[in-house]
Amino acid sequence: MKEKSIIKFENFSFRYDSANEFILKNINLEINKNELVILAGPTGCGKSTLLRSIIGLIPHMHGGEYKGRVIVDQLVVNDVKITDLAKKAGFVFQNPENQIFMFSIERDIVFGLENLGTSRTIMKERVDSILSLLKIEHLATKAPHELSDGEKQKAALAGILAMQPKILILDEPTSLLDPKTAIDFINIVNDLRKKIGMTIVIVEHRLDLVVGIADKLIILSNGKIIENNNPKQVLHYSNQLIPEIGIPVISRLYRNLAKSNYDFDNVIVTVKDMVKEMRRKKFND
Amino acid sequence: MVVKMYWISKGFIFTKVDSFVHKLDPRVKLLISIQFFTLALLVSDLIDLAIIFIGIILLASISKILSRLIRTMLFALLFSGIILGINIIAGYSFIYSLQIALRFVAIVCSTSIFFLITSPDELEYVLRWFRIPNDLVFAFVTAVRFVPIILLDALQIIDAQKSRGLELERGNPITRIKNFVPILVPLIVNEVIRSGELAEAMESRCYGVVKKPTVLYELQLNINDKLAIPFCTSIFILGLLFSI
Ligand SMILES: Nc1ncnc2c1ncn2[C@@H]1O[C@H](COP(=O)(O)OP(=O)(O)OP(=O)(O)O)[C@@H](O)[C@H]1O
Ligand SMILES: [Mg+2]
Repeated sequence: MKEKSIIKFENFSFRYDSANEFILKNINLEINKNELVILAGPTGCGKSTLLRSIIGLIPHMHGGEYKGRVIVDQLVVNDVKITDLAKKAGFVFQNPENQIFMFSIERDIVFGLENLGTSRTIMKERVDSILSLLKIEHLATKAPHELSDGEKQKAALAGILAMQPKILILDEPTSLLDPKTAIDFINIVNDLRKKIGMTIVIVEHRLDLVVGIADKLIILSNGKIIENNNPKQVLHYSNQLIPEIGIPVISRLYRNLAKSNYDFDNVIVTVKDMVKEMRRKKFND
Repeated sequence: MVVKMYWISKGFIFTKVDSFVHKLDPRVKLLISIQFFTLALLVSDLIDLAIIFIGIILLASISKILSRLIRTMLFALLFSGIILGINIIAGYSFIYSLQIALRFVAIVCSTSIFFLITSPDELEYVLRWFRIPNDLVFAFVTAVRFVPIILLDALQIIDAQKSRGLELERGNPITRIKNFVPILVPLIVNEVIRSGELAEAMESRCYGVVKKPTVLYELQLNINDKLAIPFCTSIFILGLLFSI
């Protein structure tokens, strides 16, 4: 039988060694292949902790009390090494500065492959394909300090993609970017999914950037999952929406209008949806 | 103070220059620098020293880094002035003291020219070529990569604390040292966090899986290198013969 889910949390709880309380409490969660999932929640609710548990930084690097199981592409995280998981799931961290190690971007792109002892021919092919996939050929021989923040974030992404992971994890990848660059970055991520098909888990505070492209919106609060459904369902029907997650303006507008009996044909979460809906209304009148 | 530190932090960043010398194989650059260094150590009379300086200045100008080398030279001259003074006070002849002082400048210049024409990237390749263990090479790479970043962090913290009324250049020496505490503490916290993030990123990119990682490019001597080696070496040997 073929598994549909690629990431699975089973009754998972975790407490950092230095903390008194469990940060994640009895998490049960399945993420399917090729889904794009947004993880949202107020600051300190445990989003990064959840992501760390996927690639094994928890428990292999951050020790603590660990209950339940996490299964990633049929590997039980607790039983395998971080490096085995790293080939399956790539992690782009919040600050690109701290994940670019080498002095030239092309060398940094193959950093992971070099560490695995990959042959030179394969590495050269991989660099070329990734530079063109992300349209950053002009950055190949640049040094990290010559890059803008947006370019750094793309370079960090390139270094992860070079290892051809099935799962891409992005922890607040746009928090250091200006709005335009942030939109560009999210578009690149969306393109990637269309071109090479990956499972993507993204933590993003600016929900309006991502609700339009996501399959699921998971809301974490106080270490528990309080919502897990498609974004329209969550943003429209949830009665547990917390203001901290940054509900998109359009979604608030929609909810308020709907409450005052304005009748919509569809649930609306993006500007595009709203424009479409308004146009249709105009022609019907 | 802040401006000075900014200037220093920029000094740690290698600037790419498009020149014939910069395009040579890093091993050849190392060879040339070692030859200059050796000559500077061995020669004693002023005319030989003058010839070495002409050589260094020639090399610096075809590498288009003369102005940066002169900056180093000025610093070295400052120190050599002190050396000169001490020697004279110690009772050596003026000529002898001058020789020692200038030789010091020549040694500093021949070392610093190497770092001006060799990028850290190339240095890394040279280290690997000498079969230095991967952990050491990587430690070197990270150090060079993050020193300017940490300096800039320090600058930001200094700016922030100054805007809250911290006065660095006030009071007696002891209070001045105490003034640095509000800068050091956040800086250390900052860098501890950074090193944690670096460690996570290294792990998630399989650092240390194989003992001897492969490397994207291989050092290869091209025709220019093959010509430069005998050319420089013959000049070096001539120099040796004359100086001894
Ligand atoms: N290495 C650690 N050791 C101990 N406690 C930690 C560690 N990392 C995080 N925590 C604590 O765990 C809690 C959850 O942290 P986490 O980083 O997962 O939150 P988050 O949802 O990612 O927040 P943010 O949106 O601010 O990134 C926080 O209270 C934090 O202080
Ligand atoms: Mg976080």
